[in-house]
Amino acid sequence: MRNLFAFLYKHHVFLVFILLEITAIGTLIQSHHYQGSQFASSARLWSGTLLEHFENSIDYFTLKKVNQLLVEENAQLRTKSVPANKPNKINPADIYQYTSAKVIKNSYNKRNNYLTLNKGSLHGLEKGMGVCVNKGVVGIIRDVSTHYATVMSLLNKHSVISTRFTKSNHFGEIVWDGKSHRFAQLRSIEKYVNVSVGDTLITNSFSSIFPEGILLGTVHRFERDDTENFYKIEVDLSVDYSRLDYVYIIKNPLTNERLELESKLTQNE
Amino acid sequence: MSKTLLHIKRFFILTTLQITVLNNIQISGYLNPYIYILFIMLLPPKIPKTLVLSFAFILGFTIDVFENSYGIHAAASVLLAYARPTVLSLVSVKGGEDLETIGIKQLRFGRFFTYSGILCLLHHFTLFYLEAFRLNEFMDTFGRAILSTIISMLIILMIESVRSNSNK
Repeated sequence: MRNLFAFLYKHHVFLVFILLEITAIGTLIQSHHYQGSQFASSARLWSGTLLEHFENSIDYFTLKKVNQLLVEENAQLRTKSVPANKPNKINPADIYQYTSAKVIKNSYNKRNNYLTLNKGSLHGLEKGMGVCVNKGVVGIIRDVSTHYATVMSLLNKHSVISTRFTKSNHFGEIVWDGKSHRFAQLRSIEKYVNVSVGDTLITNSFSSIFPEGILLGTVHRFERDDTENFYKIEVDLSVDYSRLDYVYIIKNPLTNERLELESKLTQNE
Repeated sequence: MSKTLLHIKRFFILTTLQITVLNNIQISGYLNPYIYILFIMLLPPKIPKTLVLSFAFILGFTIDVFENSYGIHAAASVLLAYARPTVLSLVSVKGGEDLETIGIKQLRFGRFFTYSGILCLLHHFTLFYLEAFRLNEFMDTFGRAILSTIISMLIILMIESVRSNSNK
């Protein structure tokens, strides 16, 4: 017993070091699972409040830009708006509900980027909801506290967004290689598909998170390697991640119904 | 003035500077200066090592919460704190035991540069490789770590020379 204590005392610095490293790396590994990030999120109320105060103080400088964006969006909505008296026809896109929120923390130059929004479960936000701006997809909600939410940006190594070409129905998925916040990579487009520079990519109807038809980007350049079955395509992202200010959160009330139905398929197999 | 208060003040100034200013400077996608580690570098050599490790953990975790980075800053900072006595013995005769405080004045520019440079490199490499968490982006991460270390060191040396000139 005495030897044990002597050993512990002799190496106590190293033991404390190992203990702290395990805690830190454990938090990191836990964060790779979608469910478990309670540890870091419990502290988010105070950090969120602080970030919000800071963001408020620099808000003033972006007013002009925000105004301009709102005007553009207004114009778009006006051209889109349909007469309200058509109750019998249910457009699939109409079931989605939108909530707006302000970005109080944003990054785009790390390998894994996250945003913090100033709305949380109190405003009806939930894990797994989609986040977009009028120009395109931003990301997916990762964690929610009462007043704040964090969003996993498309600029993240864990992010995979299903997409299709506007002109044809060929679909693939968009991932990010961590290099530039303006470009992402499109995978799983087979070689026989016709691709040209400038083709637009939109979200497809496979996802229960995003409604179909939200813009993602355009084809910037592409390569056809003879040894591989798929194209290498670089996508010019439509959203400028360095300038996010206000975003929309998309709520699909039918998500659970759909997921339930689809989970029956996997159960039966 | 009590020394403890000075360190607490330094902790808040450096974290605030990191969170509000430096985390928002995002140059070209490759440069993230992290200067909050200066706090650990400047702790007196005489305080217990376990205490330094704990401080490093708290400091790193504070940054993690604001960055949404889940423990990577804590891991890198704790490693830095663990390596600190070894690096200190490289640049001073008695392993720093004779020094009351650490600073550009006590160590002179050359030795302080070596001391902070080694620790900064260690911290940044740990940080960026943990963040990427895979080796097939090895060269990208390498470049990112090197460039960020250079910028961090520039800022750290700048802060340190201003600090040691203003204090007596």
